[in-house]
Amino acid sequence: MRNLGRTWAHTRGGRRGFDPARPRAARRLRVVQPLRIALAQIAPRLGELEVNLARHQELLAAARDGGAGLVVFPELGLTGYLLQDLASEVAMRLDDPRLAALAGATAGGPSAVVSFVEESADHRLFIAAALLEDGEVRHVHRKVHLPTYGLFDERRFFAQGDMLRAVPSRLGVGLGLAVCEDFWHLSTPQVLALDGAQLLVNVSSSPGRDLAATHEVGLGTASSWRSLMRTYAQLTTSFVVFCNRVGVDESISFWGGSEVISPTGAVVFSAPLFDEGLFFADIDLADVRRERISLPLLRDERPELVAREWRRLIAERAGLASDATAEAGAMDGFDVAADQAPVA
Amino acid sequence: MNGTDSGLFELPAELEIDTDVARRLIAEFIRGQLRQAGFERAVLGLSGGIDSALVAYLVAEAIGAERLLCVLMPYRTSSPASREDAEEVVRRLGCASELVEITAMVDGYFGADGVPGAGGRADLDAVPLRRGNFMARMRMAVLYDRSVTWGGLVVGTGNKTEALIGYTTLFGDSACAFNPVGDLYKSQVRQLSAAIGVPAPIIGKAPSADLWPGQTDETEAGFSYPALDRLLFWRIDKRRSVEECVALGYERAMVERVDRMVAGAEFKRQVPPIAKLGPRTTGVDYLYPRRRPGSARA
Repeated sequence: MRNLGRTWAHTRGGRRGFDPARPRAARRLRVVQPLRIALAQIAPRLGELEVNLARHQELLAAARDGGAGLVVFPELGLTGYLLQDLASEVAMRLDDPRLAALAGATAGGPSAVVSFVEESADHRLFIAAALLEDGEVRHVHRKVHLPTYGLFDERRFFAQGDMLRAVPSRLGVGLGLAVCEDFWHLSTPQVLALDGAQLLVNVSSSPGRDLAATHEVGLGTASSWRSLMRTYAQLTTSFVVFCNRVGVDESISFWGGSEVISPTGAVVFSAPLFDEGLFFADIDLADVRRERISLPLLRDERPELVAREWRRLIAERAGLASDATAEAGAMDGFDVAADQAPVA
Repeated sequence: MNGTDSGLFELPAELEIDTDVARRLIAEFIRGQLRQAGFERAVLGLSGGIDSALVAYLVAEAIGAERLLCVLMPYRTSSPASREDAEEVVRRLGCASELVEITAMVDGYFGADGVPGAGGRADLDAVPLRRGNFMARMRMAVLYDRSVTWGGLVVGTGNKTEALIGYTTLFGDSACAFNPVGDLYKSQVRQLSAAIGVPAPIIGKAPSADLWPGQTDETEAGFSYPALDRLLFWRIDKRRSVEECVALGYERAMVERVDRMVAGAEFKRQVPPIAKLGPRTTGVDYLYPRRRPGSARA
């Protein structure tokens, strides 16, 4: 239990957030407490930054009153999701005083994960999730995977993030932030867990769709997400916190169903579908250590092997090496089998 | 075909929805659309058919029947039974209703009893399709005017099946501020109608555009709604090829005919193209959500 504070300290030398001047002993003495997580399953107003900022402040205060150590808001909770050309109009720089004011509200209170449109110094727009702690912006994750298919059009309006980093937290565990589609790529939870995250936080604006009686809870999207989160929690032996918004942007209704999953894959808490609210879930961070001792999957990961094979794949897909596993006659790159005529 | 036949209607298994989730999602959608536009009330045209009856129930469930105005707009040849069915919906919901006969408007254009209307003598012989489309557009005009007097948004009632095959009138019955059932196939409209309590006679009767006496959708189209819905589901939602649909048991001629209907109706489902001339063109590279700060009625 007490080791958890050291775990990230050990893996994160020289990184932002690590203070080499701070004596190790102080960390070792830190007692990790059970953690109360508040899930702000809200319906942001599209394009109304000020209204949403005020709502975040209210809920931060309510989470503090409710004894939460961490409060999580959904993807683009400060702006609404379907922004299109509004994106540049609601964008904030990281030094924006409005963001600083929101961060300020975490001084002496719970840590918060909030999400907004971030404009970089070179005027790229990112879908960002920030960890606010002790009154400041502690860490920013820029959405790495931008869905641009089906009902999604994110790459038209946003730039891709280029980093996946776990971040130490005052909670005594490493946090791994991800935004919605980031979790539809296996590498995201894996990299974050290997980088020291013990609590994976996914903030989402997941549109409800694929209504069919055969799906769990009647909604295809919910079934898929539930499978993902249970699987990731178990494979990374980490807590998974999922905060999904509710409400309506244009044609799209967001389904909520925020959850907290334990490192065993068991469900700790499920918020109702479609209901707006601030929901509390209690976890015992000691579950991470217990699960990782009994099921040492992370210990047995082989990142050097994976990196080697990925380097090979990258070279082959770029045509810089011949595809070692392809049939004769297959094109370099994706193809393993020789060309097949598509079915009419 | 797998599925259920309740006696009232046949429901292909793959089209069955969780009606509780659907009602919740649609209620949120209706409330969201109204709130974002700055409205609290809604208006719709109630024909006595299942689609508009279902939407009336859904709107009443979402915002309360007292905020709904149903407008009954019969033409002189419209089926009296349809009107009775519409009146039964109004009675059961306890919502406001108005009767606006469109006969004078339609006959004023096409003429009647040998007396020419505004369109001239030749229009006395207008074919039923023209008359039907004109009626649909007169109803649209009435609804948009009542939208002002009632202070409510016009709610669309067209279903996914008719939108896909183009069994709608452009700027007529398809005109609306938002549509809560436009992504439900006719079979799903029936399932949801049964769950929400639409009167059984409305669910069980043969669907009809009622553009002329005795008309029914299915005799006009030449296939049943469950069969058509299921084909559209596999062809469009599940991206099955023509060959794969034939393997599912459909006749190739039907699959190809439905394909042509869907492609031929593409223009009815989209905003008309604007010639690109300037630096920023609405719908092309000027892309905003319909509802955004400042767009709600004050």
